Amino acid sequence: MIANIFFLLLAGGLPYYLILEKSDIFSSKSIFKVSGLFLLIAIILTFFIEKEIPTQFVIISFLSALYSIYRATQTTNFYKLAYYFIFMNAPFFMLFESHGAFYSLSLLVSLIGIYAIASFYEKHYGSANYLYVRGITLATPLVGIHITVYLISIGLYPPLPNSLFFLTYIFNSEADLLWFIVVITLYFGNFLVSMKVLEKSIFGKTNPNIHYVDLNFKEKITHFIIIILLILLSIHGIREILLWVL
Amino acid sequence: MEKIILLIPIIPIGIAFLLFFIKKKELIPKISIMLSSMIALLALLGSYYVISNDTQIIGFDGLLIYNELSAILVPYVAILGLVIRKYATKYMWDEAGYKRFFILLNFIFASIYLLVMSNNLIVLALAWQLMSVGLYLLVSFNVGSKTAVKNARWTMYIHKSADFVFLLAVILTYQTFGSFDLVVLKEKWLIMSQSPINDPMIFAVGLLYLLAAMMKSAIVPFHIWLPYTSEAPTPVSGLMHAGVVNVGGILLNKMAYLLILTPMVLNLAFVVGLFTAIFVSMLMLVVSDIKRSLGYSTVGQMGYMMMEIGLGAFSLAIYHLIVHGIFKASLFLESGSIIKYARKDPNIPERLSHKTFSQQDTKFKSTKTFKLMVLFTLVPVLAFIGIKVVLAPEFFEFNAAIVILAFAWLTGTQLFLSFFKVSKFDSIKAILGIVSSFVVVLFTYEFIGLSLEHFLYGKDSLLFYEAATLNVTLVSSLVVLFLIMISGWFFIYKRHIVDKPMKTDSPNKTKWSFYKLLVKEGYYFEIFNSSKKGKL
Repeated sequence: MIANIFFLLLAGGLPYYLILEKSDIFSSKSIFKVSGLFLLIAIILTFFIEKEIPTQFVIISFLSALYSIYRATQTTNFYKLAYYFIFMNAPFFMLFESHGAFYSLSLLVSLIGIYAIASFYEKHYGSANYLYVRGITLATPLVGIHITVYLISIGLYPPLPNSLFFLTYIFNSEADLLWFIVVITLYFGNFLVSMKVLEKSIFGKTNPNIHYVDLNFKEKITHFIIIILLILLSIHGIREILLWVL
Repeated sequence: MEKIILLIPIIPIGIAFLLFFIKKKELIPKISIMLSSMIALLALLGSYYVISNDTQIIGFDGLLIYNELSAILVPYVAILGLVIRKYATKYMWDEAGYKRFFILLNFIFASIYLLVMSNNLIVLALAWQLMSVGLYLLVSFNVGSKTAVKNARWTMYIHKSADFVFLLAVILTYQTFGSFDLVVLKEKWLIMSQSPINDPMIFAVGLLYLLAAMMKSAIVPFHIWLPYTSEAPTPVSGLMHAGVVNVGGILLNKMAYLLILTPMVLNLAFVVGLFTAIFVSMLMLVVSDIKRSLGYSTVGQMGYMMMEIGLGAFSLAIYHLIVHGIFKASLFLESGSIIKYARKDPNIPERLSHKTFSQQDTKFKSTKTFKLMVLFTLVPVLAFIGIKVVLAPEFFEFNAAIVILAFAWLTGTQLFLSFFKVSKFDSIKAILGIVSSFVVVLFTYEFIGLSLEHFLYGKDSLLFYEAATLNVTLVSSLVVLFLIMISGWFFIYKRHIVDKPMKTDSPNKTKWSFYKLLVKEGYYFEIFNSSKKGKL
């Protein structure tokens, strides 16, 4: 029971960001770092402790996820968005049993990508707010590609790993009413939020008043590593699916 | 060695990755076209192998297959892809994101090949979703345009829903039949079809596949994404109307043996197809935007395709989607050059048919012409029935007979209408034009339809017709068809031949409401606007 409560907390099943957001010590950046670290601990723990999350906990995390979806639609800040996604996907961690760890890991990698983009925005444009830096695709295509890949991954599209682990899980599991409600809501929740951000961030005309900057060498290396990690996870995801199918 | 053919879906992904590292703009289309030609050659080679050896190529542990369906569709898609790439080379040259365009194009082609060649429901699901995201990025290619982005969003919503419905169908298929392998499933479905089935789960599975196909093929009420995506670059429009929109038909062909078990789903497909064909064709006539009108035309054709599937004429649907695809792609790809010439020369586009048919002496009176037309239109239909009676009498046991006759009549009516529109004067040339076109259309349809049916499904095609047969007798169907034909002719006669004065000046409210419904495109956006408080 205590282990389950730990899992609930660590995976973001409770919206503890509400308290952190009110505190002066934690910025959006550090909330992501805390929640990301907690999720990573939860992922590591699942390899050692067998989890069997009770239905009530799934319901609690689902309610928290619904609220986080609402919050995610209200923000235009990449940092905030990054940690809202963690809380949005907590019910999957609870439901997905053994596959939950890999799903959450690939989510975390994609979110680290979003975090890196947020840092890039903050460094070059003054804040991690994406709304007023339009036309990224045309002005700085490389940044556009990375945002697209991360958001498409979160939006559950193959061949990116989130979608592959999601598929492995849904093809493997026994469906009941709660399963249907959670899976359908979060499937569309992730998609709608990520598509909204994609549309508002990478599309649009370039603004002549903005001095667009593309990724420098160091940033390119960071994103390259993230993409490589996503590819490795994708390969593992495809292997998982094929092992099961064949 | 022949298994090399199965690499076809991987090659475009390889091209896309290769293009990513190419700096020189001139090299992008060259590499893309060169390697795509290789795909086309491989596809033709594969088709030759399948046709000559009467076998299938299965590989990657049974995940991919090059069967009869692939032998028809993969070369078609490959050649279409080659034409689109060649066209885009110059057309897209000055557009921002030239490289991005070619990369995305290769990704979407990879997903189409994967979809056609998949022999496993999981692979099919991956290809199905990959196509959605590729399409979204291509439709929103003109990133600076707000409307392009907004319409891409709508496209994405519908395609994501299709993805979800498809995933549900796959899960239920596995739970019901215990396999993802389409060859294994086909055998199971064939065995099951020998005894009567009344399992609601099988019906649900069939219905979900139909729903997913309807969404991707823009069948009413999921049609709205197609007419509104015309802001995409012309090569993308060509690809969408000739390739992407057809995947619903391809999916249902892959699921043909499952649909034998669910006759209700086939009947439903017929009804929605019929409604789409009629309703959307009317919308096409009233919308003022030419590009949207073309979009609706494609939706109408998809309606026809769905009708054919609903009647068990699966192979005919494949023939239809290929023919329509070639026709619509050439229409889109030619539009640019016609606009270019029309800007320079006021006499372009030349009204060829008008020139040919209208400058003749009026030797015939209207009523006489009409009678002649009726006579000459009846002759080929009767000839067609005669051929069928001699060659394949079993054909008349199924609804498909009625439908093919109905198609024949529809084609005839369309020819009537178009020729009346262009020809103010009656001439023997016009009559001969109508009749010869009609005969050619009818016999080509019949010949290729039959050949394709033999090639794709052999004797099993009769099972499809049997499953799709409604509980109506041939006589009653023929009576209905005859009544439709008579009323159609009467309408044409009244509308185009007889010069009657207008009855009254007072507007007919019902007609106006109907017209308003069509002009407002079924009040689609009004409903969304009111639900979103004025925001679309």
